[in-house]
Amino acid sequence: MSFTGTVKALLAGLPSTLFILIVSFILSSIIGLFVAWLASQSDKFSRGLAKVYTGLSRGTPPLLMLLLAYYELPKILQFVGINANDWSKYFFAIFGLSVGFGGYMGEVFRSAFESVDRSQFEAAYSVGMERKDVFKEIILPQLFVIALPNIQNMFLSFLKATSLVYVIGIADMYQDATSLANVHQGVFQLQIFLVLGVIYWLITVVFDYLFKLYIKKHDYI
Amino acid sequence: MPLLQIKNLKKKFDKKNILKGVDLTINKGEVIVIIGPSGSGKTTLLKNINFLEQPTSGEMNFKGHLINLQKLNKQNELLLRRHTAMVFQNYSLFKNKTALENITEGLIYGKKMDKNKANQIALKELNAVNLSDKKDSYPAQLSGGQQQRIGIARATALDPDLILFDEPTSALDPELVGTVIDDIDNLANKGQTMIVVTHLMSFAKRIGTKILFFEDGQIKDSGTPDKIFNHPDNKRVEEFLSAIAQDK
Ligand SMILES: Nc1ncnc2c1ncn2[C@@H]1O[C@H](COP(=O)(O)OP(=O)(O)OP(=O)(O)O)[C@@H](O)[C@H]1O
Ligand SMILES: [Mg+2]
Repeated sequence: MSFTGTVKALLAGLPSTLFILIVSFILSSIIGLFVAWLASQSDKFSRGLAKVYTGLSRGTPPLLMLLLAYYELPKILQFVGINANDWSKYFFAIFGLSVGFGGYMGEVFRSAFESVDRSQFEAAYSVGMERKDVFKEIILPQLFVIALPNIQNMFLSFLKATSLVYVIGIADMYQDATSLANVHQGVFQLQIFLVLGVIYWLITVVFDYLFKLYIKKHDYI
Repeated sequence: MPLLQIKNLKKKFDKKNILKGVDLTINKGEVIVIIGPSGSGKTTLLKNINFLEQPTSGEMNFKGHLINLQKLNKQNELLLRRHTAMVFQNYSLFKNKTALENITEGLIYGKKMDKNKANQIALKELNAVNLSDKKDSYPAQLSGGQQQRIGIARATALDPDLILFDEPTSALDPELVGTVIDDIDNLANKGQTMIVVTHLMSFAKRIGTKILFFEDGQIKDSGTPDKIFNHPDNKRVEEFLSAIAQDK
């Protein structure tokens, strides 16, 4: 078995891995922002809701989240009259990861929100800005920059968690590696998984570099 | 008619009375200076004027608009905030905005001005505080004195009827105080109406058309600089002034 052949076979799953990674990362960020917003509300119900979701989402292993999404979500949807039996596996993978990591992202944004210097709210109101503009112009951009190092860490956890989607039968890189090893009756298993490890590592390096560039551009806060 | 008239303003924080019925009147062109011990409620008073804090009760007349302070609505808030401006002790510049953008934000989102016009005004204001060359700098790249002068430019750009200054120099290194004081002096000479909280007595004496001595949530004495500094009615004023003099 040739080296380039192995790499090629594994890279066949790369688009799946990246697709799931990026879409579910964006969705879990949106969930996280929403949860952080809920947690910052003054009424008890919103805060309670945020707390319960965060607890559940953080307390459930990603593998279990994926399995629950794939096997249980269709039953729930069935219950409300939606037939999800033919829906793409990607939907359930992305759903499971987004919801599973949403709680973590919520915590990332919540702590960032709390460390945005409060006196800027007052200054913004004092020049006649309205709440929605204060958030859009002043608070959100800073919250994002403050949260970046934690977002970067979360992103890498996400990357690793995408390798779990094989449990619901999606052909990502990890699944490719397993199949390839099986074809050769496990003889080249170690080599194949080493190559896979190097590919994951390279992806990490690339994204780390992109994050670093971005953080450097915004280090004035 | 006075620009701003406040009657019996009260403010509680968790059942504690911080402002205990303040009456205050300011006419166009006046500079009211507020002096008084730490914790007496001076900052709270300023923030109750532009509603950064919600007053507990009282009445206000601003440019002929009567406002019941117990029942503020959004229109009242915007009326005050869009006709006044504030300069903060710790500058409170927007950290993700350049010096220029710090000034244009209020013009664009408060006064609903278009961006070109806002930029023009901001450049003029930066020029007035001698910081044109810093227009693209972020607050973290500026000295305290420069930040505070941007803070002043941010306020004056709004062309406000009234500017509230909350100890604008007390966070500054001594050698930077002068430049900021000069900018405020310039404003006073142009006839800008202001309320200034300060611990700098020589500055207070020079700039104030009226001095208020504030203690324990109340105005305990008031009058011209000459009266307050040379023959105050309340003997607590003398004690306060000599305590401050000893600090130096
Ligand atoms: N948000 C708040 N919640 C509760 N108490 C507050 C709040 N803001 C101010 N206080 C209290 O109100 C009192 C007056 O505070 P304020 O900051 O107005 O005083 P000050 O005269 O400006 O003092 P300084 O000269 O130190 O700035 C203080 O006892 C303070 O603890
Ligand atoms: Mg104060």
